[in-house]
Amino acid sequence: MTETTPLFRLEGISKRYGGVRALENADLTVEAGRVHAILGENGAGKSTLIKVIAGVVQPDEGRMLLDGREISFRDPAAANAAGIVCIFQELSLIPDLSVADNIIASDPPTRFGMIDRRAQRRLAEDALARAGGVDIHPAALVKDLPLSRRQIIEIAKALARKPRLLILDEATSALTAADVKTVFEVLKRLRSEGIALLYISHRMHEIAELADDCTVFRNGRKIATYRAGTKSDNEVVEMMIGREYHHVFPSKPEPKPATGAPVLEVRNLGWAPRLNGVSLTARAGEVVGLGGLDGQGQRELLLALFGVLRGISGEVLIDGKPRRISSPRAAKDDDIGMALIPEDRKTEGLMLPMSVRDNLSFAAMSHLSKGGIIDPGAERRAIDEMIQLLAIKTDGTAVPAGSLSGGNQQKVVIAKWLMREPRIILLNDPTRGIDVGTKQEIYALLRRLADAGAAIVLYSTDYDELIGCCDKVLVMYDGAIKRTLTGAEITERALIASALNIDVAEAGPAPALA
Amino acid sequence: MSDTTAQAATKSRPWRQRIDLPVVTAFGCIVILLAIGSLYSPNFLSPEYLLQQLKVGAFLGVIATGMMLVILLGQIDLSVPWTVTLGAMMASAAVSWGPAGEVFAIPFGVLCGIAIGLVNGIGVAYLRIPSMIITLAVNAVAQGLMVAYTGGFAPQDSASAAMKVLAAQSTFGVPHAVLVWVVVGALAVFMLTRTTFGRAVYGIGNKEVAAYLSGVPTQRVVMIAFALCGGLAAFGGVLLAGYAGKAAQSMGDAYLLPAIAAVVLGGTSILGGRGSYLGTVAGVILITLLQSILSVMQIAEFGRQIIYGVVIIGMLLLYGRSGKVSS
Repeated sequence: MTETTPLFRLEGISKRYGGVRALENADLTVEAGRVHAILGENGAGKSTLIKVIAGVVQPDEGRMLLDGREISFRDPAAANAAGIVCIFQELSLIPDLSVADNIIASDPPTRFGMIDRRAQRRLAEDALARAGGVDIHPAALVKDLPLSRRQIIEIAKALARKPRLLILDEATSALTAADVKTVFEVLKRLRSEGIALLYISHRMHEIAELADDCTVFRNGRKIATYRAGTKSDNEVVEMMIGREYHHVFPSKPEPKPATGAPVLEVRNLGWAPRLNGVSLTARAGEVVGLGGLDGQGQRELLLALFGVLRGISGEVLIDGKPRRISSPRAAKDDDIGMALIPEDRKTEGLMLPMSVRDNLSFAAMSHLSKGGIIDPGAERRAIDEMIQLLAIKTDGTAVPAGSLSGGNQQKVVIAKWLMREPRIILLNDPTRGIDVGTKQEIYALLRRLADAGAAIVLYSTDYDELIGCCDKVLVMYDGAIKRTLTGAEITERALIASALNIDVAEAGPAPALA
Repeated sequence: MSDTTAQAATKSRPWRQRIDLPVVTAFGCIVILLAIGSLYSPNFLSPEYLLQQLKVGAFLGVIATGMMLVILLGQIDLSVPWTVTLGAMMASAAVSWGPAGEVFAIPFGVLCGIAIGLVNGIGVAYLRIPSMIITLAVNAVAQGLMVAYTGGFAPQDSASAAMKVLAAQSTFGVPHAVLVWVVVGALAVFMLTRTTFGRAVYGIGNKEVAAYLSGVPTQRVVMIAFALCGGLAAFGGVLLAGYAGKAAQSMGDAYLLPAIAAVVLGGTSILGGRGSYLGTVAGVILITLLQSILSVMQIAEFGRQIIYGVVIIGMLLLYGRSGKVSS
């Protein structure tokens, strides 16, 4: 190792929340000009570690050294002032403000005591350029931009604070492959400029590409630090989950010959201007993937199917019969049997302050009650069954859903819909920001549900997931399905090419399956 | 209760997390108030005095029940004052129509309140008007209607016999008004804890989007909650008219702040989604005792108002520091 003092050092940091120890005697050394990846399942202590470094929480024990001098941060502003800037998993942008206002949110340039708009805009443009978002207009409102662009703005906002240590917590989880590439170029340039980067991600291939050093955490403890590339993926995952790691994805069944009417058929669905004539079929036992770049209408398609959007044209057929689905309530009706696992589990999927019990039975109330009166016995049985089926880790059913880890929260969202035994399951990026172990369980569960006769429509921003889980993938572009990939055609290359709406010569003939 | 943890649970929660801090605080304050009162007069601990307080509190209790429903949704109903008055006046008006009116006086008064509540509910749920605005406007309209009906004078109609029996009389020393509150309260507890409607109310109060995406008819639930609130406010007015013998102008004005305060002092979050009926009961008793003690201490009206307001702010500050759930 080098003789010089490292840029930043943690020694013996511990942090407890009530009886739960989130971090136990953690050490970490971050050097300037290197990318240090932190790996670990959700609940491994990564988030707490970052919060300690960024000054969001104070450690109970241990010390922090910056340039060899001991420091402590009262609040995030103090950490910022010392050159430590964090990009958190949850976006922190204000939707109703312009891009420039968001980037220079604190401490804007002033002139005669008033914000100097021109200087502010120039600073914002510089920051955007450094973050790889030259195409983003500084005066645009954040709420008009798709998620992936917002992430770029988030990075620009961090850069505007002139960081020496930049922390990225799942900063790419909302990004599509193309955007990730842009962000990586930016990060590599920042590294060559001598900035230290602390990088947290659940995507292994991203870490392989970017990281110089890696540290694995498990249950609040540091397991190991190693040079990137010195351990195999299997070894790393084993360290993370502490158990043998076999196949991430369950094996796919042989395609069955199509018989009878598909459970779900969509003909020429439109919702101007975001959806333009989408047609698809999903049969019982099939996992249908939705691919493509972020913001090409996948989210709208799922919402339209679920009856959320108004003013939809086209036809939706359930079991071959045309149906009009005008609300989620109609969609979940037993003779349609649809379920939607929404994009954001914290705001759309769960009522976080309510108990695990209330959340689990919330969508299936009509099955657990007679004449509007809840049958507590039936409710308890159904909840116990779901907790066991999905192996939800919770300290009883009376605790708030918000106290569970991200992976277990997502399990609750899925479980609350499984309680209705849906026949059509729509999932909007269900594994975003979830640890490997839980992902694996969700993949296996999806396949089990399909085998049991459900038709599954899965939108994912993770290509590996589409390749590993789906029987066919519909690639969307500009509100329409541009290409249908089945079986062996589902490759990363084909997915990317069709997502960008370009033809790849060597991909071979691609007969479009209706 | 069905709250008891399921078998899948590894261990039960520690008792501190099971007991609602605000409810305990409110009951604690009740005890303190009674202790202070008993320094002035030993009568404060006599069953007669306590029953009398419960009787006075029953009217507020019925009105606060409806208010709690609406606050649980994260909304507010400012039309309560004139819905109370309207309920009282319409029930009394029915009496003047003859024997049939005498029979239908109570349901007629309540129905008028439900109608007001429906207007509120439709405005909030379907037209998406902020509840603070529409209920304030509806309150003004209800006031206008009542002034037009009475010509601005005290109405001459008197309460029906049934209203007087319900509100003013007792059996074996137990005021009927208290029994009415017990029944209303029991129904409210059942509705909040054991029905799909109750679950939907809590769900919407916590996160309306999540409730909607779970297939709950959120608009209908909101509308019904407002209708119930209007109906209960009017019923409170009917009881008040029975108690006083007849309706009076502005008789509901004294019930808006106390109703909101009782609900919130009982630990129901003003932002919705959290709270128990037991807390509202405690809040109602607390407010009633506070009012009684302030008048017994012969503090001037302005002093009472100040103390009353300060106590409410103080309690809210106290609760605001607890029970935040982080994501």
